[in-house]
Amino acid sequence: MKPGVWQRLDVIARGLLPAFSVFVLLLINLLPISIPLLSTASPALALMAVFYWAVNRPDLLTATTAFFLGLLQDLLMGLPLGVSSLVLLLVQTGSASQGRFFHNKPFSVMWWGFALVAIPALLVQWLLSSALIGAFLPIKATVISYILTAVLFPIVAWGLARAQNSLLRYV
Amino acid sequence: MAQHGGPQQRIFSPLRTALHRFAFILLIFSAFGLMLLGKADTVLIERIRAASADLVSPVMNIVSRPAASINEITDKIYNLAHLYEENERLRVENQQLLAWQQAARNLSHENARLRDLAHYTAPPVLHLVTSRVIADMGGAYAHSVMISAGSRDGVSKGQAVISDEGLVGRVAEAGYQASRVLLITDINSRVPVVVENSRDRAFLSGDNTNRPLLTFLTADAAVAPGDRILTSGHGGAFPPGIPIGVVSSVSENAVRVAPLFRRHQLEYLRVADYGLQGILSDQRIRQSQAPVNTNDTLLSPDIPTGVGVVPSGPADEELHAKPQKPIGELP
Repeated sequence: MKPGVWQRLDVIARGLLPAFSVFVLLLINLLPISIPLLSTASPALALMAVFYWAVNRPDLLTATTAFFLGLLQDLLMGLPLGVSSLVLLLVQTGSASQGRFFHNKPFSVMWWGFALVAIPALLVQWLLSSALIGAFLPIKATVISYILTAVLFPIVAWGLARAQNSLLRYV
Repeated sequence: MAQHGGPQQRIFSPLRTALHRFAFILLIFSAFGLMLLGKADTVLIERIRAASADLVSPVMNIVSRPAASINEITDKIYNLAHLYEENERLRVENQQLLAWQQAARNLSHENARLRDLAHYTAPPVLHLVTSRVIADMGGAYAHSVMISAGSRDGVSKGQAVISDEGLVGRVAEAGYQASRVLLITDINSRVPVVVENSRDRAFLSGDNTNRPLLTFLTADAAVAPGDRILTSGHGGAFPPGIPIGVVSSVSENAVRVAPLFRRHQLEYLRVADYGLQGILSDQRIRQSQAPVNTNDTLLSPDIPTGVGVVPSGPADEELHAKPQKPIGELP
């Protein structure tokens, strides 16, 4: 039986979930929260989501999508253009090629994997941003940002896994 | 996606891999292309940034409200816990302020009379636009916030942004209904300042830490921890006399300033339109770049230098006549 128009639209809408979830996390990153620590260094929420989807559903969050989500992050956060695009693109491509390694393994393995991937990702972001601005940015903020990113990953991954199980089971 | 198999897979699979690899290389190059484009800092990039702020501002406007109310609740709990000490502190402060009020009244009378005697020209009236902070681009790489006012409310690039405590930053990009404010702690921020007591001039340069640096300070400048720092008004970008911060540390090679505002508690900000276009206006930049007679440029000779001096000259009057005109539509 051929799928109807609505069915196909439904599949397309569900297929957009990964990209949309990264967008929502970007907006959450922008929320003004009155915690002193978070205003100097915030967790890289978009990085977590891009890693998660690249490992679990690389077909739904492609390299091109990661590139444009990075561009959006740079535009919204006032960062030097192109840096986040490059970082998210590299993380997507690198994680998607190693995705098989994480399948059927306990979650802690994926957590360790992310903690490892996030180090070069944030380092590249720091180096390129410093180079484009023309002065070394304080590394302390990047280190705090890394720790927050690594520690908060399970929470974000749990949310994304819930969404994946409920909406993307048959897509 | 469903699993495919059969002869189609054998033909298309290598082709698809090649295409993916090509797309990947293309994307890498476009990322570096974007970096170059961003570095060139064209008006185009600025407009795209402003448009992206406009794009998310309706969502952020709604979503930031619950966040603000949660902040209010935590504030209330904190205040309840510190009620007694706060009351004691305020009692002492009130006594001091009453004494200051008397002094201020005497001085303002004296000032008014002296102004009458000297036929003093009053500085231009400050036009303020109040707006809410709807997003905080907190991070290790940039210090800026988004506010819910744009060109529709008369906000334009380069205007000073003030909180209850003092100067917060300047408008980096103004969209139609939202703008991005570059905080004075950002690494790209430079503000001409003056030390309140010694009247030494300097620049307040952000370096992405919470304590910006005082740079271009003369060697014989007398600066000590606790000195207040105000905007000097040089360059016409900011109104003079806005408090910015207090000198927090003085060492051999760096004087650091603690800003008066607390970033995580910014909620409502005021954008000050001083009637001056500032050194950051596109028109001035364009005119300074145009290969015309140097006497015609609006740079150095017409930049207001005194406190409250209005820039004069026919070209500047033209600027004042069209303050609301959006950037880029000028001939």
